[in-house]
Amino acid sequence: MGARRKLSQSLATKVILSTVMLSLGVISLTGSALYSRLSDGIRQVSLDSALAESRFTFFNAQYQMLLSQGDSVEERKKALADLIISTTTQSSEQSRREVIFIKVPGERKTKVSYEMSSSLIKADSVPKALRERIQKGTDLHYEYGDLLSAQVNQGNTLFVGERINIPTAGRYEMYIAFILTSQTETLDLIRNSLLFTGVALIFLIGMITWLVVRQVVRPVRDAARIATQFTQGDFSQRMRIESQDEMATLANSYNEMAQSIEQQISRLENLSRVQQRFVSDVSHELRTPLTTLRMASEVIYNQRASFDPLVARSSELLAAQIDRFERLLEDLLEVSRFDAEVAVLEPVDFDVVALINRCVKDFQVGELDTDSGIRIDSELPVVQIQADIRRVERIMRNLLSNALDHSEGKEVVVTILATDTEVGIGVRDFGSGLDESALIRVFDRFWRADPSRARVRGGTGLGLSIALEDARLHNGELDAWGRPGLGAHFVLTLPRRAGDAIEGRPIKAAPKDFHEETFYL
Amino acid sequence: MTLVMVVDDDQDLAEMLGIVLTSSGFDVDLVSRGDEALEVFRNNPPDLVLLDVMLPGIDGIEVCRLIRQESMVPIVMLSAKGETQDIVRGLEAGADDYMQKPFRDKAELIARIRTRLRRTNADVTGLLTIGDLSIDVTAHEVLRGSQKIALTRLEFDLLVALAKDPGRVFTRDALLSEVWGYRHSTDTRLVNVHVQRLRSKIEHDPEHPEIVMTVRGVGYKAGGPA
Repeated sequence: MGARRKLSQSLATKVILSTVMLSLGVISLTGSALYSRLSDGIRQVSLDSALAESRFTFFNAQYQMLLSQGDSVEERKKALADLIISTTTQSSEQSRREVIFIKVPGERKTKVSYEMSSSLIKADSVPKALRERIQKGTDLHYEYGDLLSAQVNQGNTLFVGERINIPTAGRYEMYIAFILTSQTETLDLIRNSLLFTGVALIFLIGMITWLVVRQVVRPVRDAARIATQFTQGDFSQRMRIESQDEMATLANSYNEMAQSIEQQISRLENLSRVQQRFVSDVSHELRTPLTTLRMASEVIYNQRASFDPLVARSSELLAAQIDRFERLLEDLLEVSRFDAEVAVLEPVDFDVVALINRCVKDFQVGELDTDSGIRIDSELPVVQIQADIRRVERIMRNLLSNALDHSEGKEVVVTILATDTEVGIGVRDFGSGLDESALIRVFDRFWRADPSRARVRGGTGLGLSIALEDARLHNGELDAWGRPGLGAHFVLTLPRRAGDAIEGRPIKAAPKDFHEETFYL
Repeated sequence: MTLVMVVDDDQDLAEMLGIVLTSSGFDVDLVSRGDEALEVFRNNPPDLVLLDVMLPGIDGIEVCRLIRQESMVPIVMLSAKGETQDIVRGLEAGADDYMQKPFRDKAELIARIRTRLRRTNADVTGLLTIGDLSIDVTAHEVLRGSQKIALTRLEFDLLVALAKDPGRVFTRDALLSEVWGYRHSTDTRLVNVHVQRLRSKIEHDPEHPEIVMTVRGVGYKAGGPA
């Protein structure tokens, strides 16, 4: 498994391996064909020369025997011995020859036996099939076999035989054994050379492939490395162009793409900087006149008792609308900061229960006109967290103000639950509630649950959207739950240490008093 | 009459501030350029300076630094940007407090100005000792041995607030309400920056304070008398 993974991981290994395997096949095929052609040729040549030599020797032997018609047994034996000696000694060291005389079986017995052999060769080393053929006729025949002698067994021997007549002694089989040691050696040498050449070739092919592949793979590897660096944000990386080949084309296209992306990014960064500057400038430019407006309207408002009723009412409207305008401006600027990603977290350690208590108290002071109350349901007297207190306070104010807006005069319950790593804060109202489609859009900017409904608190329509951004800036989450007629539940989950991620929700979005089954019955 | 110097390049806002302050019983000096502010300040030393951050000539933070070099007068920065760096830079340059435009209401502005002009801890009198410092609350003097240490009014108030109850831990919120007169505020940067400044003046080694000590995760306390 590991080897296969490594194989598929490296292009070079894959190419080298398959090249070597293929050349191994080709080289062994051609090598064995070459070897069999060569060995056949060599065998044929030595066979031809052995047969020619044998014919001459047999003829000579028969001739000598004809001449020895009248000679004594001793002289004839000597003539045969001379013949054997001349045959065996004419040979060079590489191709030894031995001669064997065997009486044809079934011939009448004579006093004198001329059965003899050179070098104490055993007569039964002559192959049986060859002997049968020789016994049948006068033709010359040959066969390959093993030569057995008193000393050693010699393999790969060519036996050539013919029948000759020895006067007074009858028919004899005469065999010449050609010991093909040199041929075997030659063939071994050829085979070994072929094997060596084959192995060397495969090694060389492997090396060459490696060199070639490296030429191709190195730029590919470089390209991959550069692309990786690019992905990690180093947009200045470019591929080197060293040639005119396909790699150069790839490098060119890649570099052009990188160039274009780099330009796009710097253009976008520039736009974002312009946007941030704009936000900051708008902030400054709008705030100063708004301050003047505000103070002026206040001076007028404080004098309204001395105006006639229409002017007095106008001054009230003016003051109220300046308030609203200011809140809207603040919220818009905050949203722009989130959009420009310049919002920064300034975490401090604080007790979130105390913070919520204070927010709730502020709302109750200002809530004299409606009878809705906020109840805090927390078993924990103190929950220390590390977070941006300004943002957490803003989230709480937004959630509380939203809940009071939609509570229809019923109670609003704030639950606080904490684990070692997270704190969950749930704000529940029992008012008109939210349906499925509203839940999807509840965090959208300027979205209102019921556009026709009068705005009690005059929210900007950005509160929940900012609250969600604030929560996410903490790596936290803001979940919403709602059912028509049953009210809504907003749950803020924050990590207790700044920078940590949240792993769970101490409070679930669906409130405890709600059961899905009973709702749909 | 109490004189307030208003330095703001926006003529209309400066005039409006003038109207509001005059109607609340202050004398007002209006300056519209940063580079003119110091001269006006020297010619007619005010009891309090309201200083905008963005000014033509020299910016408000630099003006603040220059004034602080020659006077311990209370300085309140007016910031339209509301960005953290501006506020912290202003406080580090020596401002006692800051107000973000637009102000919540006229009353808030007046209340801040009055807090800065009034002596806080009016109930404390006589001599306090803390570390090797002796604080003459009545004479508004801090002495190390016979050497006088110059503190701004706010730094003095902060030190007295801590020193009048040595060993007691004050949360930042408590200090904000006691020294700055905020009913409630979550901006603890004010406290942090001023504690740093106070330490740089009174501590032997501000890195290892012995007089104003940090209680991690809670706030600050004063060390007992040496």
